[in-house]
Amino acid sequence: MNNLSFVPDSQYVLDFCTKYLARANTDARHAFTDDAKGTLAGTNCEAWRFPIVDTYGGGAATANDPANFQLYNQVTFVYRESSPVRSVGVIGTFNNLYEPEPLSRVNFGDEQTPFWAVTFAILKRQVHRYRFVVDGVIQNDPINPQTLTLPTGKIWSRFFTEECAENLVLEDWEQDILLRLVEQMAPFRTTDGQRFLDQFYNYLDYSAKTTTFEHAYRFDESVGEVAFIDNILAREEHHRLTDYKICISLINQVLRQRNPVEEPALISKEIYNALYNEMAANHVDGWDTSKYQSPLFFLNLLRRHACTGAFSHPKYGGNAAGAGWAFLEERYQDPQTGASVFNWRDAIEQPLGRSKEYLG
Amino acid sequence: MKTDFDFVIIGSGAGGAPIAHEMAKAGKTVLVLEKGPFIRPQSQTPNGRSSFKRDELISDGAEKRLMLPGLTNTGVSFFSSHIEPDLNDEPHIYQSPDGSDRATIEGYTAQVVGGGTQHYGGVSLRYTPLDFRLQSFNANRPSLPGDPNDDVKRNARDWPISYDDLEPYYCKAEKLVGLNGEQTNQQKPFSDPNTYQPPLTPNPISQYAFKGMQALGASLNSSNPVRPYRTPLAVITRDHEPSNRKVTEPEAAKTSYVNRYGDPLEFKSNTWVSLLSPVRDLANFEIRCNCIVTRLQSSGSKVDRVYYLDPGGSERYVTGKIVVVACSAIESVRLLKLSAKLDQNFDHRVNQNDLLGKYFLTNSFGGASALVPGRFDKSHSLDADWATDCCAVQSFLDSHRLWAGGAIYNNTSDQALPLSLLRTHFAEDLDSLWDGFIADTGLRAQGLIDFLDQQFGRSLSVSFMANQLPQKSNRIELHPRITDKWNRPVAYIIKNWHPHDDYLMDTFAEQCGQVLKLGAGGDPTFQFLGQGSVKDSPVRIANHILGGARFGNDRSDSVLDKNCRVWDFDNLYVTDGAFMPSSGGANPTNTIEANSFRVADHLHSVV
Repeated sequence: MNNLSFVPDSQYVLDFCTKYLARANTDARHAFTDDAKGTLAGTNCEAWRFPIVDTYGGGAATANDPANFQLYNQVTFVYRESSPVRSVGVIGTFNNLYEPEPLSRVNFGDEQTPFWAVTFAILKRQVHRYRFVVDGVIQNDPINPQTLTLPTGKIWSRFFTEECAENLVLEDWEQDILLRLVEQMAPFRTTDGQRFLDQFYNYLDYSAKTTTFEHAYRFDESVGEVAFIDNILAREEHHRLTDYKICISLINQVLRQRNPVEEPALISKEIYNALYNEMAANHVDGWDTSKYQSPLFFLNLLRRHACTGAFSHPKYGGNAAGAGWAFLEERYQDPQTGASVFNWRDAIEQPLGRSKEYLG
Repeated sequence: MKTDFDFVIIGSGAGGAPIAHEMAKAGKTVLVLEKGPFIRPQSQTPNGRSSFKRDELISDGAEKRLMLPGLTNTGVSFFSSHIEPDLNDEPHIYQSPDGSDRATIEGYTAQVVGGGTQHYGGVSLRYTPLDFRLQSFNANRPSLPGDPNDDVKRNARDWPISYDDLEPYYCKAEKLVGLNGEQTNQQKPFSDPNTYQPPLTPNPISQYAFKGMQALGASLNSSNPVRPYRTPLAVITRDHEPSNRKVTEPEAAKTSYVNRYGDPLEFKSNTWVSLLSPVRDLANFEIRCNCIVTRLQSSGSKVDRVYYLDPGGSERYVTGKIVVVACSAIESVRLLKLSAKLDQNFDHRVNQNDLLGKYFLTNSFGGASALVPGRFDKSHSLDADWATDCCAVQSFLDSHRLWAGGAIYNNTSDQALPLSLLRTHFAEDLDSLWDGFIADTGLRAQGLIDFLDQQFGRSLSVSFMANQLPQKSNRIELHPRITDKWNRPVAYIIKNWHPHDDYLMDTFAEQCGQVLKLGAGGDPTFQFLGQGSVKDSPVRIANHILGGARFGNDRSDSVLDKNCRVWDFDNLYVTDGAFMPSSGGANPTNTIEANSFRVADHLHSVV
């Protein structure tokens, strides 16, 4: 075995396989978009869960110092055979690319199941491509809908680990426009919010700063909501990516009509504010409704994502270093004692929080 | 794999685990078949990490869309927990009062080892003695509001057991499961003064609820007021010897990741950590998770095979001298109906009358809410602090012309976390999460800050949990068209409220409103928000799913005998909430567990 891989607990693997993958019905019950029809992702429930990216708690030979467990994710690759196979391996950029690491058969008691699995310790904040080698034949992961197209045109399966800040599905210019729109929604662009964020990032100690800022390089006047959106559109809510691609393009057109001189990401707050209000009224001058009927629908999608990104666990890519939570912690106090009324760190795992028992 | 057992128990939650626990300790061979995954607390996993997380996107996760064709809500977004079944794979279909069908998340209990006790808030009340004899209580009373045809008198049933019969088992369940709370002021007799561990200090926001409950009790009966008590909760605050759980820092039990969250630290007393884990190493005990039972096969008066699909989907079977069905009322009724479709003898025996699936019940529930002066850290709390039985006593039922009573308690952990605050903003139920937030487009930037300023750490709600009037037309069937991912017909829920239920819920909501108004003590900065109930939303079930296979002493009027055995089978028992002839005036888990311990006592004499 590779120094960073190990055979996972069968029970653990089955706990993810049965609900999502075991079935007799082959309807496209989970094809939320037309292009998912006819794929295994459209047939299986929550196919985005594969490979399984989870908290790391040891198991790999060279990632055995508990003090460093939090740097890694536990990533479990699962292959389901539809007819009996003799061997399954995985190759990927997290390993020596052309040395397949074998998957082991997952058992139920003393009986075989159709599932094979192997687990790796892989650093957080990374994006990787991989393929399975099944009886010597290289193929993409038939379950995971995420893919990555190389400059050569070759398509590989892809996954990313927690707190990922690399561009996954949105281009820089799309993210720049999104950032300006999100500022209209989350509470951090207000005077109080701005002051808080300035202080929050300035007062992080040096070690926190290097890890946080490495991760938080995109954060300006937000807590990483756009990174969260990029993450969730790449995986859990991939079915919403088309909405974003079409609407950001339409918004880009509208903004260029309104200010032909400046780049859309740089134009004034007032123009964005007006745009928000028009989207909320579901009537935007210059919006091509033949391409996307309801600007309000997209606005509401974006609002839900922006707020979820601001306040969900930082592992999903937003709420960097818990800044969204810390904003609430600082802002809301018992008027008599002055103590915060949102001591979120007590419940959350270290090093983000300070729970003595909960390990994430 | 071993195939023959003394006991095959379908479901590892409140109905199944007590029997598994007792029989395993008695040396019987026991197999528990659990449909859901085997999610264990940190201390029991190979790498010390639990798949129960303190993560708001685990309880109500990413958006999915309902793709099943031909439903009134086809195409809608939904957000469900990692241990709730997927709506596209295993939906419950609910028939609206207008006759249209929709899929709903309401009415599921968690599908995981421990069942609904993994997700519950842990409120563990007993039913009152009156809850067990509502037929005789109402027999000679004048007609009640909303009930001109005397449906109460026709449909209420006394249970075949009394409170006194069940009381020793309440004591047993409370001690073995591990509860904290207070007996004093509860309007139910306790034979053992030591069934609870001591409660933790209440969240200070609950002081308003306490004052209000005290004042309401005094206003209802000034000479002999019923006073509040600390809500019994299935959370341990001390070392719990029966389950060998240790508590070094009791205050760490307080977390708002409680209701709709499994507990990675095993403070919350679910049936896995309390009842099954203590017997897990016995050679005569086995649990198989990710295994869904598809049908029971019979021969004469015995169920002789239990067919299930293993984690990969291959069909297998086991046999049990006794077969216990306890996979939540809706799914248990469904399993019996699916088995009847495939087995004529089974059909003949389980349907010896027309009552299987009928008299499906939930609780009548609702409450009131307010914004209190000051701010409090609701993220450090348990699910409920104070409760009162002042609306469960006979004098209240007589003065307010109600057929049955209920409990009132305050919720402490609701809307304590930022995402739960936003996504439940004006949400009516689990099917409408985010809808209110989305509709309120003013919630942005400064508008969002204003909203948080108004709400954060200030919201206080008081709830009631009361009886629902049984009606034969409220029932579980098999859906004629929609199937699950195994191509089996799904459960079809047909349910509505009775006009007396509407009246009862209005009456109780008013009492909850009074608790908050009286609790305000005249402070003008105390902001009462409103009161209401689920009377206009019949789909609401609170995950308290009960009835459908009621027990009784008359075989023509019940599906089960008083020991929860299906009348015409020698070895088939149903012990989840399906057995209840009325829903009780409280959260049902403690009563389901107590009854299962009672049935276990009976089973000792059978095998």
